Amino acid sequence: MSSAEPGGAAARSLLERVFREEAGRLTASLVRLLGDFDLAEEMVAEAVVEALARWPSAGPPERPGAWLLTCARNKAVDRIRRESRYRDKLQQVAALPESVDREPDDRLRLIFTCCHPALDADAQVALTLRAVAGLTTAEIARAFLLPEATLAKRLTRAKQKITKAGIPYRAPEPDELTDRLQAVLRVIYLVFNEGYFTTGGEAGVRRELVDDAEWLAGLLVHALPTQPEPLGLLALIRLHSARWAARLDNRGRLVPLAEQDRSRWDTRRIRSAVALIERAAALRRPGPYQIEAAIAAVHCEAPSWHATDWPQLLTLYDMLAALDPSPVVRLSRAVAVSHIDGPATALRQVDALADSLGHYHLYHAARASLLRDLGRTDDARQADQQALKLTANPAERALLTARLQDVPARRHPS
Amino acid sequence: MKYVLLLTRGAWQEEGSEQERGEVFGRIGEWFAKHFADGTITEAQQLREPDTATTVVLEDGRSTLIDRPLLEAKEAIGGYAVIDVPDLDAALRLAAGFPMPDGKVEVRPLVER
Repeated sequence: MSSAEPGGAAARSLLERVFREEAGRLTASLVRLLGDFDLAEEMVAEAVVEALARWPSAGPPERPGAWLLTCARNKAVDRIRRESRYRDKLQQVAALPESVDREPDDRLRLIFTCCHPALDADAQVALTLRAVAGLTTAEIARAFLLPEATLAKRLTRAKQKITKAGIPYRAPEPDELTDRLQAVLRVIYLVFNEGYFTTGGEAGVRRELVDDAEWLAGLLVHALPTQPEPLGLLALIRLHSARWAARLDNRGRLVPLAEQDRSRWDTRRIRSAVALIERAAALRRPGPYQIEAAIAAVHCEAPSWHATDWPQLLTLYDMLAALDPSPVVRLSRAVAVSHIDGPATALRQVDALADSLGHYHLYHAARASLLRDLGRTDDARQADQQALKLTANPAERALLTARLQDVPARRHPS
Repeated sequence: MKYVLLLTRGAWQEEGSEQERGEVFGRIGEWFAKHFADGTITEAQQLREPDTATTVVLEDGRSTLIDRPLLEAKEAIGGYAVIDVPDLDAALRLAAGFPMPDGKVEVRPLVER
């Protein structure tokens, strides 16, 4: 709305999407055809450089996938002639088809391979962002605030393990799909979480991670249309990103949900997310992501914090706790309880979680909020101080610091 | 692809009763027989107890002896099997089905020449 060149920005972002879509498909197909992650990635990377130079001025070609493949093949043949380690691949590359089949399974295979449980979670995340979402090593390192060399080493090791340990390049069989899908959903959720909630970094980089997570979840929904949990995860990501514009004030401080300007929420995104939740619900297999999405939807559809449907939230938290009886879920549930049975009851429930959540900043932030509702200002300040000690996120730190200085976190224009 | 399954002894071998151990070894014997018969296992051996082990340390062209195994008793390798399966998933499935009450199985690909 405030962008100087909305048309230009939109065109560029459309181009990026087309481009990523095609590059992602191409990488997936080439990994299948060549059986070699590194070679496939290098081929696509070279074609991508060429495309970046040409597409923005000329627009994407009519068949972007075929264009990229031809370009990648030509670049690869040149390269292979120069480098002996790829010599045995020359025939394979020369024999690549004119256009790569649109096998919908290719990217699914790729994402399941990247999220194979024999790779550790950090490696799964890095590899998925690199190979499926097409981020560069530098971009991933920046997003996770890690040295590029660390990330590069992690990726190299993961790719070598796939080849040397014989991790198969395939989508799981039906009987193992549920377990394997959990790993993929967790990786996408971690990408989203890193972009939305955690450690800091530039706002622009973090927003891109949220977009990447949404794109990955969309890919999964497209490839596995009868699985309800990917729909739930996609809806969850959309509902959170619908509130993006309202969650930071103009000084970069986090604005609590209760104080957000709801007119700045993206209602179109909220409506599309609710439709996804309904589609998932029709499949009649509830799961944690669907319930979390439903919880986010209750907040997004409430006209104000006080007019939130707290009994409905409590029901949803009970459903969630039945599937995932973790202390973090019980902490969130207590917030709903405070609006139904009052802050004293909620505080007792929160205090009971001290042993398991004492190291978690949101535990102390939630306590502070309940203590303030009870008029125990000094105790509330102490709890806020505890929370401050435990978080590195600059936006959260700014909010907690403001609370401690007794300055309103958000200034309303008179 | 060929993998070696390195089987730890697990607490059951140190702590279980004679009868329990006998039952577990019975199931392990059947497991080996089955997978030798279907061609999955190409070679397998059981190792003697860890307190029979001698470790030879090589350093500066000399060797010294230590009267114990490389690893702590609980993690000590009790045996191994060389398997030939299509991919890591098949190897992991096989390892997960090894019939011991507790313990670990390291799945390591072999260099094939």
